[in-house]
Amino acid sequence: MSGERPATDGGSVTGDEGRRIGGGSAARRPAEGGRLGWLFEPRLLAVAAASLLLVVVAGLVQVSFGAYSMSAGQAWRAVLDPAVLLDPRWLLNFLLGEGLMRTVTGFQGELPELAHETLIVWNIRLPRVLVAVVVGMNLAVSGAIFQAVTRNELASPFILGVSSGAGLTILLTLVVFGGLSAFLPLIAALGGSVAFLIVYAIAWKNGTSPVRLVLAGVIVGTVFNSLQTGLFFFADDIGVVQSAIQWTTGSLTGTDWEQVRTALPWTLVAVVLSLAGSRQLNLLLLGEQTAKSLGMSIERVRFGLSGVAVLAAAASIAVAGIVSFVGLIVPHVVRNLVGSDYKRVIVGCLFVGPALMVGADVGARLGMSVLTGADAQIPVGIVTGLVGGPYFLYLMRRQQNMGDL
Amino acid sequence: MTIFGANATESEEQSGATEPNGAAEPTGGNGPRGAAEPSGAGGATDASDLDAEDLVLGYPTAPEPVIDGESIAAEPGAVTALVGPNGSGKSTLLKGLADQIEPDDGSVLLDGRDVRSLDTKALAKQLGLLSQESTSPDSITVEDLVYHGRYPHRGFFERTTAEDARAVERAIDLAGCGHLRDREVGSLSGGQKQLAWIAMVLAQDTDVLLLDEPTTFLDLHHQMEVMEIIETLRDESDVTVVVVLHDIEQAARLADRVVALADGEIRASGPPEAVVTEELLSDVFRVDAEVVDTDRGPRVTPIRARHEE
Repeated sequence: MSGERPATDGGSVTGDEGRRIGGGSAARRPAEGGRLGWLFEPRLLAVAAASLLLVVVAGLVQVSFGAYSMSAGQAWRAVLDPAVLLDPRWLLNFLLGEGLMRTVTGFQGELPELAHETLIVWNIRLPRVLVAVVVGMNLAVSGAIFQAVTRNELASPFILGVSSGAGLTILLTLVVFGGLSAFLPLIAALGGSVAFLIVYAIAWKNGTSPVRLVLAGVIVGTVFNSLQTGLFFFADDIGVVQSAIQWTTGSLTGTDWEQVRTALPWTLVAVVLSLAGSRQLNLLLLGEQTAKSLGMSIERVRFGLSGVAVLAAAASIAVAGIVSFVGLIVPHVVRNLVGSDYKRVIVGCLFVGPALMVGADVGARLGMSVLTGADAQIPVGIVTGLVGGPYFLYLMRRQQNMGDL
Repeated sequence: MTIFGANATESEEQSGATEPNGAAEPTGGNGPRGAAEPSGAGGATDASDLDAEDLVLGYPTAPEPVIDGESIAAEPGAVTALVGPNGSGKSTLLKGLADQIEPDDGSVLLDGRDVRSLDTKALAKQLGLLSQESTSPDSITVEDLVYHGRYPHRGFFERTTAEDARAVERAIDLAGCGHLRDREVGSLSGGQKQLAWIAMVLAQDTDVLLLDEPTTFLDLHHQMEVMEIIETLRDESDVTVVVVLHDIEQAARLADRVVALADGEIRASGPPEAVVTEELLSDVFRVDAEVVDTDRGPRVTPIRARHEE
């Protein structure tokens, strides 16, 4: 429909450079090779491959070493033991638990014998690696979402009160309501979610804003942390204190298939929802004004996405306690590597989060025995903190303006 | 059923309204309306009315409203410029028109319907707003930024459609930033950034466009670029434009109607020649100035600031 430009106004001769409405040049979208075209982006693929390699290597170290050491070759063969991998009964036994496996398959007899190495790897060491993978994914995705919602690079999954709520309820359970400690994972996750709701309620005044949310998070965090520290004085047993510290710094010691089964369904839900919400996250990055003028119901979206992030954080708290820094660093690393598009950031987080977590857990499980010879494990949260601090120092030196996203 | 007829807004549900070019509206959600295809393929004009009646606007933190009961009508299919000194309420009025600030009283009617009654996405399909300060991540490309303008037209899980791609191409063409499309926004100059943001709001493909000081802080070349975009919109489409401008000469040259504000009150409104006068400049802007009519509109030469009292 070119050529019919009304030549009325002599003053504005602008159409010459092709500035014309309806000039229908061919549609072109380089990054859109079909629905999943954006996935096959070199930087993202490289990040995913490197992370995967790290997970495999660190995982192999984890399954090889321990009280019963074996060579990497033995460990590898045990992981890939066809007696498990090709037997759906064994696989379901691990993934769903024995009871569910029997109802699903209808199998009532004894499961076939496994080799000694296979039993150790599959029963004890592999689940710990898998829990690390799941926790890493959850924390990274949760952090990425919170950083977009608060539009602050320094936000973490625990910025809106989740960790302090969980910490307080953990202490309450261990110190005051000892009888409920069997439900500790659930209670911790619940405590985190409730604290998040309190933060939201405090921040709400005709709607919220990133700054108000962060401030409300600080308020609730300060009060809850004080209460939590206060509760330590009422613990009369060193075992209770140690257990409390394990939970509040985050630990994977003693994790089992049970923990995999606890966290996995919620992880799947959170991951799917966060991928679905990535376009909303991208729009949030353009600022409240722009998002609103483009027709986003900003409060609803912000609350919904925060809810997804809290779900992910709660799932990881339930199995590993409060692991710090992972949710803060990983989205940062990923953004530096693949750019700010949240579709890619979320996918990148799904790989880099597990890499950091599995790697850090190697240090937590084996570090002490390598360094001091003592047969002791430290909470993985300590290792992630030791890695995280220097990384931020590096960022601080390198980047001019940190903070704003 | 109304197809790009006069004012396509009679009923809540105008289902079945189709794009003039035949592509059906992609959203299954509420308010499907044929987003006015500019440069009237159907011949009939369907420029939108935007009327504010007795609007009272303020901020929760301030006791006194900024705008206290003003009415303004944007001329359909034309360019209305809001001018006034700093703090006169131009931007507030614009935000009020865009339903970004909830009015304490009064209402804003878009084609006769209260904007508050419209769903946020339905409103964003009809009314676009470019704010004064826009922020974006540095590493987003211009094209991706422009695609965000299609947000109100897409459902939650929908991917971009051919219609989206067409609208984006048109917007990039019109804003003249085709050569920037693969550049990262963080690497652009202020003027180039503004063109990218204008392309984004154009991709929204709305009947009404509100621009808040689009030329402020830009160099002369980019100021002219922005002015030309608005002129093209006026000459070749039915888009109703309301623009806040700092430069009164620019406003007089660009706009079909000029509305002058001071202290939250509309002091004058009408065609540029009638509004941009020496009396108004002394009254509203508190400067002594000389206004000379030229064939490019009035030329304003400020002489000195007035220090009355």
